[in-house]
Amino acid sequence: MGKFNVLQHDLVPEHHLVPVGEEDKVLKELDISKDLLPKISRNDPTVKALEDIHGKLDNGRIIKIIRKSPTVGYSIYYRVISGEVFK
Amino acid sequence: MKVLVWKDTKKNMESLVKNLPRKYAVDFSPRDQSIKEAYISVDGKTFTFRAVIDSIAPYDETEQNVLKKKSSPKTVFEITTLEKIDPIPLIEFKASGKYLKEMKTWNIAERSLTEMKEKEAYADTVPKDINEIVEDAKKLGFSLPLTVAYDVLKYKKSLDKKEYTHLLKRLHEDIVKKEIDPHEAVGIIAAQSIGEPGTQMTMRTFHFAGVREMNVTLGLPRLIEIVDARRIPSTPSMTIYLKKEYSKSDETVMSVVKELENTSLIDVADVITNVAEMYLTIRPNANRMKERIVAFNDILDATEKVKGITVIRDEKDQEIVVKPQQESFKKLYQVQEQLKILTIKGIPGIKRAIARIEPSTKEWVIYTQGSNLKDVLELDEVDGNRTYTNDIIEIATVLGIEAGRNAIFMESQRTLQEQGLEVDQRHLMLMADMMTFGGGVRAVGRQGISGRKSSVLARAAFEITTKHLLRAGLIGEVDPLSGVAENIIVGQPITLGTGAVNLVYKGLKNTK
Repeated sequence: MGKFNVLQHDLVPEHHLVPVGEEDKVLKELDISKDLLPKISRNDPTVKALEDIHGKLDNGRIIKIIRKSPTVGYSIYYRVISGEVFK
Repeated sequence: MKVLVWKDTKKNMESLVKNLPRKYAVDFSPRDQSIKEAYISVDGKTFTFRAVIDSIAPYDETEQNVLKKKSSPKTVFEITTLEKIDPIPLIEFKASGKYLKEMKTWNIAERSLTEMKEKEAYADTVPKDINEIVEDAKKLGFSLPLTVAYDVLKYKKSLDKKEYTHLLKRLHEDIVKKEIDPHEAVGIIAAQSIGEPGTQMTMRTFHFAGVREMNVTLGLPRLIEIVDARRIPSTPSMTIYLKKEYSKSDETVMSVVKELENTSLIDVADVITNVAEMYLTIRPNANRMKERIVAFNDILDATEKVKGITVIRDEKDQEIVVKPQQESFKKLYQVQEQLKILTIKGIPGIKRAIARIEPSTKEWVIYTQGSNLKDVLELDEVDGNRTYTNDIIEIATVLGIEAGRNAIFMESQRTLQEQGLEVDQRHLMLMADMMTFGGGVRAVGRQGISGRKSSVLARAAFEITTKHLLRAGLIGEVDPLSGVAENIIVGQPITLGTGAVNLVYKGLKNTK
């Protein structure tokens, strides 16, 4: 909210919201069920920032992360929004 | 657009809302009379009311007005509309160049919102000729890593078409050879690969890392710290970059350094308790004040903000006498402790800040002892996008879990590299991925990854055997025997490599 846009920080890779319609395609490609995907807390600053852009995001939405990688250039990673906060 | 902000009582607001438009007498007089809009906070944390001010006039006793406070009304606002709005945090407003943090009386502020924008796609920034090589590789049926494509580009010019295709084919063969096979135990290989060089690391805790008067934990202790996901590292430190327009001006850098360094009362003054008379004396030390650039009035201002005490200024001796409003020894002690850690200026958590010119780019970089990423990012002169701290947990909470993963990777790689050890990046990436899998940073040991395995037997095989077995027996846990450790315990083939594949004989097809 306001101040600093975390999405622009050098350490933060690209975060994109996967449209609901494309979720099945992603899961099929990875041959995995949603609960086995890596998680991202719904209180995560990047999720909050995405909420500013897209409106409220429900648990279970998938976020596509495009990381800069020193070995392959860039790699794609998926995380699912989860209500459970893991510490 | 400039707006007026102030704090008011709920009662006042309710009485105003009922009868609009209304004249409202307040105890302050803004210099800028053209302001038309105001935001009002009731709880001091969020703005919940928005008012439209038609005119601002000096206070006139003869008129019937609603008073904000009984004492000293100065101006009268004619309020035409007053509406309840969804709470807006104070921090969205800026007053005289600083974000609002607390709402005491009133202020002229400006709403400033950063546009939330997604990062520009990294794939779009890849040069065209690199993309071409990747496309060529795709035609041959494999995906070429970008980093390799950059290398290929160097040789592409000196090769003819046939040789070029041959090169790509050889690369394909090489990549296939180095691919990890399905059901390969990557985790154990990573653990070995990080663990073995770890035995060669120095046990020395401290190392002076270039910057004068600043030491940073390095070597094995630092690696353990990263892997254990400690809440607070033993030597937190930040690297702060300034925005391009400020990064070469000496004055701005010095002012930022002064703004950063946290000075508490005990750093510049002594607090003396007089138990018999029930008061405290703050005796500033002139030398220490000079060192930290603190004026006597700064101390006085900071002390006056503390609640529940009476401050008496002793002009003659340059001392401040503080009396708790409640006369009790407990309170006296509490006030003493409170005063000792009272922040006079600076950002809490940052003990020292040192500016240094980076030789390669000729720009000023500030290094700090202590870390407070959240507050530093809010400073105007700071280039937040490049600012870095070595506190991984802090990065994960302020910038998100993905930034945390990058921080784990970068920190562990740097620690190993500084000792001259070479560990393949992929092992460290795997470790970072595992640590951040659950959406928060987890340690590797019994509290973290190993302690949260789904299998009882695997957990029992690691540490505190009886605790896990007893608990599992009590709640009736079921172990599907899908992992490695549990299958070794029961004496079955492990689910790795060839053991992971089940062979099923289908029999001959019935051909009549």
